[in-house]
Amino acid sequence: MTQERQAGRHVPLRDPRDVMRLARLGALHQSRLSFMRILTRRMARENWRFNRTAFEINTQGVGHAVYTAHTPTRSYSLVAFAHDLPPEQRSDRVIATAWDATFTLFDGVPTADDITRLSQNVPLQEAGRVSQTELSVSRANRSVRLWEHVVASLAAGDQPDMARIKAVGYLMRTTAVYGSGKLGAADREMIADRPEFNPPFQVEMLSVFLTRAFVRDLVQHMANTRGGDQTATLDGNISRHMGIGNSTGLGMAPFLLNHPVLFNNWVAAREEALARVRAIKAARDGEITLFEQMLDRSALSAQQWHSDHPIQIKKLAQLRADLDQLRAHLDSTDLRAPDPWDTLYLWAEANLSLEGQECLASLLLEPYGALVDELSEHMAADNTPTFRIAGAMTLGALRGILETDYGWALNTDWSAPENRARAWYVSEEKLEPRLGDRFKEAIEDYEQPLAPGRDAATLFAAIAHWPDDTPVAEFLLRHPEHRHILRRAQIVNRAPYAEIRDNTIAETVLPIDMLRCKLAFFGASHFDPRSDRWVRICMYGGAPFPEDLCPDTADTWVYPQLEDDT
Amino acid sequence: MTFSLNEIEAMSKRAARGAGLPWGLCEEAAKGTRWLASFGLPGPALLADLLELNDRLPPVDLSPISLSGDWRAPAGRLSPLIAGSAMSDSAMRMDQGDTITMVNVSFPLLVVPFASGAALRLQGAVTVEWGDVHLTTDGLNLCIQGPDAALNAAHANSLRCFASAGMTAPKAPVVRGTLDSDVAARLNAFAHRTYAPATEQSRLLGAGAGLSDND
Repeated sequence: MTQERQAGRHVPLRDPRDVMRLARLGALHQSRLSFMRILTRRMARENWRFNRTAFEINTQGVGHAVYTAHTPTRSYSLVAFAHDLPPEQRSDRVIATAWDATFTLFDGVPTADDITRLSQNVPLQEAGRVSQTELSVSRANRSVRLWEHVVASLAAGDQPDMARIKAVGYLMRTTAVYGSGKLGAADREMIADRPEFNPPFQVEMLSVFLTRAFVRDLVQHMANTRGGDQTATLDGNISRHMGIGNSTGLGMAPFLLNHPVLFNNWVAAREEALARVRAIKAARDGEITLFEQMLDRSALSAQQWHSDHPIQIKKLAQLRADLDQLRAHLDSTDLRAPDPWDTLYLWAEANLSLEGQECLASLLLEPYGALVDELSEHMAADNTPTFRIAGAMTLGALRGILETDYGWALNTDWSAPENRARAWYVSEEKLEPRLGDRFKEAIEDYEQPLAPGRDAATLFAAIAHWPDDTPVAEFLLRHPEHRHILRRAQIVNRAPYAEIRDNTIAETVLPIDMLRCKLAFFGASHFDPRSDRWVRICMYGGAPFPEDLCPDTADTWVYPQLEDDT
Repeated sequence: MTFSLNEIEAMSKRAARGAGLPWGLCEEAAKGTRWLASFGLPGPALLADLLELNDRLPPVDLSPISLSGDWRAPAGRLSPLIAGSAMSDSAMRMDQGDTITMVNVSFPLLVVPFASGAALRLQGAVTVEWGDVHLTTDGLNLCIQGPDAALNAAHANSLRCFASAGMTAPKAPVVRGTLDSDVAARLNAFAHRTYAPATEQSRLLGAGAGLSDND
């Protein structure tokens, strides 16, 4: 059916030289291929069962709880520890040492001995150790603004104020979710062959999904403790609006640079999905209707999105204007005409800001799950084949790659201070990743290799006087200092979306662009930068809780319901 | 104590950087150490030994002078990380039947992970041998022959790498590494050199704090 409608059409993938600019990556939106939605669709499709097997939390809010998800073949348990945290210790920074709640996702169902062992380690986070039966380690802090309001309202027999809930969006925010072997946990390679964990970050997304259920239960428990018999039960229509916040700092930005093949696969999947939809020759009525509904719900989401940060305020204004303009354009456009989606996309490229273009790119996928959802199976990465350097490649061929894929960098004046003003480094304080001023702080000796553009330009200059037919193996023997960037250049030659095509150490670089890009792939919404280096988001806002999960509720929850616009 | 392989890889990369290696070789050291650990071999301990031996020495002193003939270093001893990388980069030569011979190479076991990279490129088995030790890998699995003492030797007078016919009694990798705490401490001592000292300015500005995060 779909192939028939695609016959004769080929829409090329968008050019990585445009897609991989930071301004565009910093305008990405969630989509059908976001990791949260991949997970909720799977859980519903496979009819996962959920139960709470322990909730041993005292009147001070201290204790533990266990939430288990049962797939058709396995079980995974969130083990949650609740703490009584003095307010002065509450911080979202990596350098914090105590939290309101700490978690691990356990592979299976934990025994009493497991709980004891975990209770001695998980609350310590980086200072503790877990084992190969643990798949993730995470922590969360309360939103002081909202937690007390919800507890007090329920304890008094009232429901909390919806406006206040929408203004914050969550009762707790995670400040780190560690997976993939961190702190002694299982390596991804141990679980990557399980279908439910093939797409990226499914462990972390499952952990947060279960965390949300725990937080809802904990706030009710604390209200019950305070209010006794008169306590109200939190209304399901209210709790559904409560997601889990996340506070993300600079650690995420290096991730994109340190996992080039993985990053390529994320972007390539979304680009392929977009190209498939743009290639459709004719849209059916139901598809058009669904698209228009998601557009309207997206516009509502943009209205509900709050930020006090000047950069985000401006981008939000652009997004809202873009969505208004798009809606108006649709009134004068016939989507029943041939090539409707490609025509619409090209109109957006010419008329909308990057925010609007990327929002549309995601919305276009909505009616076409059958065409694009399978791409989620191609978003993981095996780095082994691309890690090895092809030593027989000639310097002439390498020069060609550098000119094609790092052209922007070869045209940058790297002697200008503003083009290399920043340096990425790791602090000895809990190994917190940081970004400093190269010329004002004594950090250059500690610089991490996170400036591929500069390094590519340096490599290009270093091979200028070498013959074209010399193999790179010969060059590397004399110049091992270029081995890192030469590897990257060979990777980007095979994986065109692997590299950010922008200056990651410029005075003007905004790390929040990288954070937003990664978080959009997670499926986050309502990005709220708190500076140019850290951002808050909401995860699973509007999503069903475990007991409400079914195919009808599992997918488009990320868009607010129009009837909720009160 | 058991470690995830990712932890071993991350620790090795930072340690190699702390010993002054360029980032690209740090990446090789990290992947190689992880690979050895996945076969229960003492990659992390040998890496710590190597970093202590060659701490902050210029890589070019320990590199093959030329890729023609037997490989020798200007300083007398070859670094297994540098010579190993060059061997992986030159994998195609072994496909044509050449044997790569390294003369006076430190900690020869650290060369073997590079044979795995070469084997994947050649889509065939590659053998590394020195003294009584013969190791063959197809990139994924490993055949080990030879006494432990020779396997973990600090030095090999002559080491040969060549494409070979096949694997006998292959061992599959595991997904967990063990590491003595003193080895972890030695690697972490190198790694610590890569961390910028804490300053108040860095704490305030470097991670973009400033707004309250307790709200």
